Amino acid sequence: MLIEGIYLDGKTAKRQGARLEINNDHKITHIHLTEQQQILSFERQYYAIEPRLGNTSREISFEDDQLFVCDHCDEIDKLRSWQTSHLSSRNSWLYYLENNLKLICLSTIFTVIFLYGIVAFGIPHTARIMAHNVPYFTSERLVSSLDVLDKTVFKASKLSPQRQQEIRNLVSPYLLNHESVNPKLVFRSGMKANALALPNGVIVFTDDFVNLTQSNDELISILFHELGHLKHKHMTQRIIQDAMLTIIVVFLTGDVETFDLLTGLPTLLLDLAYSREFETEADTYALTLLGKHNISLRSFADAMTNLENYYIHEGVGESSTTMSEFFSTHPKTSKRIKLVEGFEN
Amino acid sequence: MNQYRDPPPLENSTNLTQGHKSLGFDFRGDGMEYFKIWIVNILLTILTLGIYSAWATVRNKRYFYSNLYLDTDNFRYLADPITILKGRLIALAALIAYYVVGVFAPIFSAGLAIILFFFIPFFFNRSVAFTNRMSSYKNIQFRFKGSYGQAFMVIYIWPMLGILTLGILYPLALLKANEYYVRNSSYGTSHFDFKATYKDYGIIFLTALGILLIGGLLSYGVTQLDPSFVMISPIVFIALYFALIVYSIVSFSNLYYSSLSLVDHKFDSSLKFSALAKVILINLLLTIITFGLYLPAAKVRMTKYICSALLLHTAGSLDEFSAAEKQNIGALGEELGQAFDFT
Repeated sequence: MLIEGIYLDGKTAKRQGARLEINNDHKITHIHLTEQQQILSFERQYYAIEPRLGNTSREISFEDDQLFVCDHCDEIDKLRSWQTSHLSSRNSWLYYLENNLKLICLSTIFTVIFLYGIVAFGIPHTARIMAHNVPYFTSERLVSSLDVLDKTVFKASKLSPQRQQEIRNLVSPYLLNHESVNPKLVFRSGMKANALALPNGVIVFTDDFVNLTQSNDELISILFHELGHLKHKHMTQRIIQDAMLTIIVVFLTGDVETFDLLTGLPTLLLDLAYSREFETEADTYALTLLGKHNISLRSFADAMTNLENYYIHEGVGESSTTMSEFFSTHPKTSKRIKLVEGFEN
Repeated sequence: MNQYRDPPPLENSTNLTQGHKSLGFDFRGDGMEYFKIWIVNILLTILTLGIYSAWATVRNKRYFYSNLYLDTDNFRYLADPITILKGRLIALAALIAYYVVGVFAPIFSAGLAIILFFFIPFFFNRSVAFTNRMSSYKNIQFRFKGSYGQAFMVIYIWPMLGILTLGILYPLALLKANEYYVRNSSYGTSHFDFKATYKDYGIIFLTALGILLIGGLLSYGVTQLDPSFVMISPIVFIALYFALIVYSIVSFSNLYYSSLSLVDHKFDSSLKFSALAKVILINLLLTIITFGLYLPAAKVRMTKYICSALLLHTAGSLDEFSAAEKQNIGALGEELGQAFDFT
């Protein structure tokens, strides 16, 4: 049997028209170079037939980098099937998989469901277990703590020492209740109205935020929310989740080079979805705690409304479209207030 | 679509490479076909808990190299999945070791970071050499031979000077990096060359800055006239950002390829802003609608467009190239190159 193709000797880039000769024992014996009228002998030579891949040319490589290329896929497949090495059968199995429409549909559905499971349950669950088992000193080191924020964003608080002491006295019994997370309240300015919890237990209230609240109960309800973040180790969880997400995306797209806008956007959206879930979890924690201490749940809703009005006034208010929620780190205020109402009943 | 399915018969075109000609690059892959390969890769990677990913990478790369044609011949990707698997295991082991040291002996981890800092240029050279050696065209492999000192300059010193001069020398850093990569690369025994100037790069940077300034000032001006414009300003900023990205890809790619030559053969590139923007927008839209399932087809569409804009102006036959001497690189060297794959 003769197969038409191209021969490249591996020493120069010259391509030569060639015919591959296969004898009756299904072994490659010669390559005939058609223009040079030359016959190269390949008896007893080792050769490797590259596995079939899509519509690409078929290649057979011989010793000393010699290469035969052709487009006659079926003949080459026959040649491969005559060779009984298990390696070749494995690779044609791959080609079979890739061209079986039923299998493709099934594996698409399987992959989509599997990935959904991983993203929706696997990653959050693993992150939760890992976060609660990371030793305390590493979770403190994992995230830039207060020092870094002090150098970059924060300025010293302008609240009067009396007011600061007042709030400290107000919250100290609740902080004592949470000794396991080692909470510590500090006041800073330099940022708009905000309260945040750092993984090492530091809770920051900004001046604008303190001035915005209209009652002590509101301050306490937000403190509970931040304690919820600490108790659930949300910061640590989020870092672990982001790392796992990145690894999965790199696995799926095959390499880091495609890690651009196309893959970056879904990663960002998922990260934000995780963040909103944490906020709801912290809200729930705060509401439960308020109930336990017989503080009105309304105070939490009031604090939320105050914050929203403040941000709308500052010109960074969220527009009320559903689209914008996907791009937000926090759930919509109306949703959070609904959660309060759900608790009240 | 069908023109890609049936490549012209290989035998009839031996004379095409003679004399002065402009040869086009052509990517003959197909989105649906690559999707099937991609989804099977993912399935097997999941079922083997990630071990198959080395084979998946090779199959993906082989698909893209083998479908890339210059004139009548295709490129080839030659790496062995086992090498890649070993490389990944080494990288994983190194990462775990680094974290363990970080937890139990934080003082040493700072030392390790410094050692890694000085090893990165070395790893970078190894990695590029690996990628080039694993790529071939017309059965001749590419090569790369860079020096540690130059790599150190390109990775650390030039970018740092760029930052210290508030960006004035940054175009130069980019130029130096491309020069380093190209001039140390070869096809067989023939070296590539790169001829671009600081001015070429500077103009692109200045234009990008200009787009940003004019766009920013315009939207600021409109806001002053009509405050309700604030409502759509995020959209304007996203559009501006997108335009900047597309502009940079188009100009830097065109500059890169038109500065690139191999002996007397010169490359050329004519990417267009509108065409590339269209490709990216379609890809982005379809990928979002299909929850990522369009990703492989998007990659094919992108590759097809970029290849269609590339040309090689030849001076003489492409048959004259000869292979470089065989390199016997120790197994570990090869795997290290793969483990720290920066390219």
